[in-house]
Amino acid sequence: MNFSFTEPQQVAADALAHMLARFRDRPVHTESYLSGSALDAELEVSGFHDIGADPDLGAVSAIDLVIQVTRLAPPVEIAASTLVRPRLCPETPRPLALVRSTGPVRFGAEARTALIATADQVMRLHVQPGDFESLTTLFAYPLAKLTDAARARAVPLEAADAPGLLRQYWEIGLAAEITGAMESALKSTIDYVTQRKQFGQPIGAFQAVQHRLAEAAVLLEATRWLTFKAANSGEPADAALAAGYAQDAARRVAYDFHQFHGAMGLTLEHSLHLWTYRLRTLLGELGGAAARFDSAAAAVWGNP
Amino acid sequence: MDFTWSQEQSEFRQRVRAFLARELPPDWEQVAEHGPASTGLTEFSMQFCQKLSRAGLLVPHWPAAYGGQDGGAWQHFIVGEEMWAAGEPRGGQYMNVNWIGPTLIRFGSPQQQARYVPPMAEGRALWCQGFSEPGAGSDLAGLRTRATPVEDGYRINGQKIWTSYAGMATICFLLARTSDDRKCGLAIFLLPMTSKGITVREIPSLVGRGDIHEVFLDDVFVPASARLGEEGQAWQIITYALANERIGIPRYALAEKILDRTVRYLQRAGDYSRGEVRQRAAQALAACRAAQLLSYRVIDQRARGLPPTADSSVGRIAVVAAERAVADFVAEFHLPALCGADPLSLAHHQRAITSGIGAGAAEIQLNLIATQFLNLPR
Repeated sequence: MNFSFTEPQQVAADALAHMLARFRDRPVHTESYLSGSALDAELEVSGFHDIGADPDLGAVSAIDLVIQVTRLAPPVEIAASTLVRPRLCPETPRPLALVRSTGPVRFGAEARTALIATADQVMRLHVQPGDFESLTTLFAYPLAKLTDAARARAVPLEAADAPGLLRQYWEIGLAAEITGAMESALKSTIDYVTQRKQFGQPIGAFQAVQHRLAEAAVLLEATRWLTFKAANSGEPADAALAAGYAQDAARRVAYDFHQFHGAMGLTLEHSLHLWTYRLRTLLGELGGAAARFDSAAAAVWGNP
Repeated sequence: MDFTWSQEQSEFRQRVRAFLARELPPDWEQVAEHGPASTGLTEFSMQFCQKLSRAGLLVPHWPAAYGGQDGGAWQHFIVGEEMWAAGEPRGGQYMNVNWIGPTLIRFGSPQQQARYVPPMAEGRALWCQGFSEPGAGSDLAGLRTRATPVEDGYRINGQKIWTSYAGMATICFLLARTSDDRKCGLAIFLLPMTSKGITVREIPSLVGRGDIHEVFLDDVFVPASARLGEEGQAWQIITYALANERIGIPRYALAEKILDRTVRYLQRAGDYSRGEVRQRAAQALAACRAAQLLSYRVIDQRARGLPPTADSSVGRIAVVAAERAVADFVAEFHLPALCGADPLSLAHHQRAITSGIGAGAAEIQLNLIATQFLNLPR
């Protein structure tokens, strides 16, 4: 039992933080979502997507990577490339879009490969122009819809236990992304309630605000450690529990973070919406918390 | 980063489990139903702890010079998890193990240590904790029980309340005031419960038979040699003593056991086919695992010798949430468990009620998280 990074993991985390510094603290002004292309290119060139394959670093460093990148304003496809791709289709071109239903798909329009989860198999699609129709959205990710014609072109992915592995590492990545987005949203909220004064004091000094933010901090820390644990153990039940807990937490905190920013949080000028709308996209992925908890129950106690 | 147990830790846990399997009688769960301070459990625990001591499993984390084995923070917590999950057969002696013994080892005089530490290490001492008063709960420094210096000692007057184990304890770890200074005017007394002038009255409660009491102190004489540390040092001592107690009881361990047992019952009864049952069960399980990990995080820091931080407050809030999730799950989906079908589940329910209250209101921990963990303005 050891909650610290190993020395190689710490070195990797520090190197990543150094590399990401220039994407941090940039002024953000956005009408919809930002472009993540520069950040994505930087990660691709430096080979960070393969971090989990290094035996000294493993899934723990992959999770740290996803969390650190998801904290940043530009949205990039990181979780699927870092956690799912090495296990299911390492040679396939990235970015990846993960598709489960007929609804909006994150990173669809920029993906070069789509993995489609059906009831009992994983279908792979080499994405061609026009396969995804971009959606106009307030949400902080580029969202697109897979056309029926493209879906029909997908072929089964030949890999041992592909449906199980896709679900497990999709869940772990989702939980890591929620951790990163919650961290940035909480930080933004703490900054705001510390400087915003009403009734002659910072609103962050009111106990009503403090207690809800303290509870959010507990949810965030729990999400973080459940995610690292799931990555470290490789147990499907741990992955489903982490994802369910994360989505449940995202639902609970997203409202409060907006509430405490007051009307300032409604503006596009303020970056808060990047994090909260990221959380609001993620809390429905894979069918939402109830579906994840159902999946966890099946893994722990068996199917009904 | 690694969330697995070392071979040594796994073997140690197996030793504890084997001991429990061997020593808990078939009707143990009926004994445990009546709360850790009930007469039945207290009498059982007196025999049980002596056996536990002889097996080297009562105070393995204490220094060898005081009857322990220098076993460290993880051994301490592994024993705590297994005992709590079993329904806490140590009864009130868990307090000796967790903090009373270590505090006397750190701050006690040689005479106090010689008198009190060996009985604790041997599993034959029951203490109670004289902290809370009618006007001083979470705001402990507001306590008014007064220790007035007299020749050779003190006369103590005042009242304690919510005192667990007071009905059967032979000694009280008593906090009293020697001056009006809120925190610097306090002293600790190791007070024999047989002292003249002590009246104990049980308070009927929801949390198990014989659990909480009022203790009236009417001109009770205590010799100066019974004072732990100096006058005015009490706040420093209890800060040390209780630093680990925010997550002192691994409450999630019994919660997860009861949850698992309840789900298996619901499977047999056909209710597991309901989606909401499965989802709520896994939601409660996630809460238990969250509490476990956030507690382990604190133990990991303790094992490295790092000072306590607000992480322990984070852990406590998660523990309270986990117990509540399981207690609510049982009440909602398997009420018969609380009406006689499962004594240990009832014991869990009763203990869960106290989770956010015992050791001070959980809201105080939220204050600490806000100011010390998030650095919000005061």
